Amino acid sequence: MKNATKFIYEPGEHESEKASNSYLMSLIALIAGLPLPIINLIATLIFYLGNRKGTYFVRWHCTQALLSQLSMLFINSFGFWWTVSIIFTDDTISDKYIAYMIAALIFNLTEFIATIYTAIQTRKGIHVEWWFYGNLTNLICKAEA
Amino acid sequence: MKKIIIQGVIIIALFISIWFTLTQINWLTIFKVQKITDNTEQKIGELFWEIFQKTEKENTNPFVVASVDSIVTKICSSNNIDRELIKIHILDKDDINAFALPNGYLIVYSGLILNSDNQEEMIGVVCHEIAHIQLNHVMKKLLKEVGLSVLISMTTGNGSSENIRETAKMLSSSAFDRNLEKEADIKAVDYLVKAKINPEPFANFLYKISEMENDATKYLTWISNHPESKERAEYIIEYSKGKKIKYESILAIGTWDKMKEKLRE
Repeated sequence: MKNATKFIYEPGEHESEKASNSYLMSLIALIAGLPLPIINLIATLIFYLGNRKGTYFVRWHCTQALLSQLSMLFINSFGFWWTVSIIFTDDTISDKYIAYMIAALIFNLTEFIATIYTAIQTRKGIHVEWWFYGNLTNLICKAEA
Repeated sequence: MKKIIIQGVIIIALFISIWFTLTQINWLTIFKVQKITDNTEQKIGELFWEIFQKTEKENTNPFVVASVDSIVTKICSSNNIDRELIKIHILDKDDINAFALPNGYLIVYSGLILNSDNQEEMIGVVCHEIAHIQLNHVMKKLLKEVGLSVLISMTTGNGSSENIRETAKMLSSSAFDRNLEKEADIKAVDYLVKAKINPEPFANFLYKISEMENDATKYLTWISNHPESKERAEYIIEYSKGKKIKYESILAIGTWDKMKEKLRE
């Protein structure tokens, strides 16, 4: 899932800290706003916007954190509204629903662990590119911008 | 670019396949969801029925009971419904009413039978209520109106008897929402057709009673809590059109008349 590759330049101490914070931001917001799937995305987005003019390394990691949050948003929102419909409408708990929730949990946990790992690595100045998300970030985030 | 799309598709496919694989497991049994719901339904049904048993007079005339029983048995056997599930009781009351309680209890007031011009009308209403039972509308309604926690507290003896009585009365005197009523009507027509009973009198019954609504009689419980009777009659007729079946009667005409006589006694 993750590749530790060499970044085009050696990031400085303050850059590593900021990049690492972008991941931590999503983790803290995730814990704080647990039942609502959108809080962590908003937090990451704010951090992303705040660092748009940051150095390449910081921008790169803010983007990767944001993208990973975005895909989780789809999975979690669907689960969230499904739960709401079970509580407030005629919908009932089914095997399909429980299976979805477990699948969503597996994905969230994987993302959670990957985020912690990446936060630690980037703090040390090591550049970590996630499978799929890393490539997508390379596409969006350009050095000269 | 192509690589990214492929990777994205793989991630989505991975999620869907994990979901699909997990769906194969019977989670409801593992988490005992079904068992808890079934137990609650059974206890609630018994509690509610006890209330009606105490406050109303049940008609236990063997002729009446046997006649109604043969109707229910015929409908169940023609539609693969477990006969044991439907517990039908006739109460001596002038209201034109029939309703379902949890756990398959089906209560029919004598007023409904006496005000039906023929057996098909009454069977139509009974089928409609059986449909509510089969489609699990009763528990859905209870869960929506009072919530699972209140229901469970009722079964564990923590609920107030006043509360239980009110909820039971609510089931006897209020309709389900429009969609559920329509679903039950359509299902009722299916049951009737499969049992080779003409569904038209059921629609006629709704028409007839909607006309009576203007008389503002207090006995029209079933109809006053089932709104839009005319509209219902129309879609029942529409749905049963084109079903070319040779219709039969369950009870002989003599038996039907005799049952009404016994009810009047």
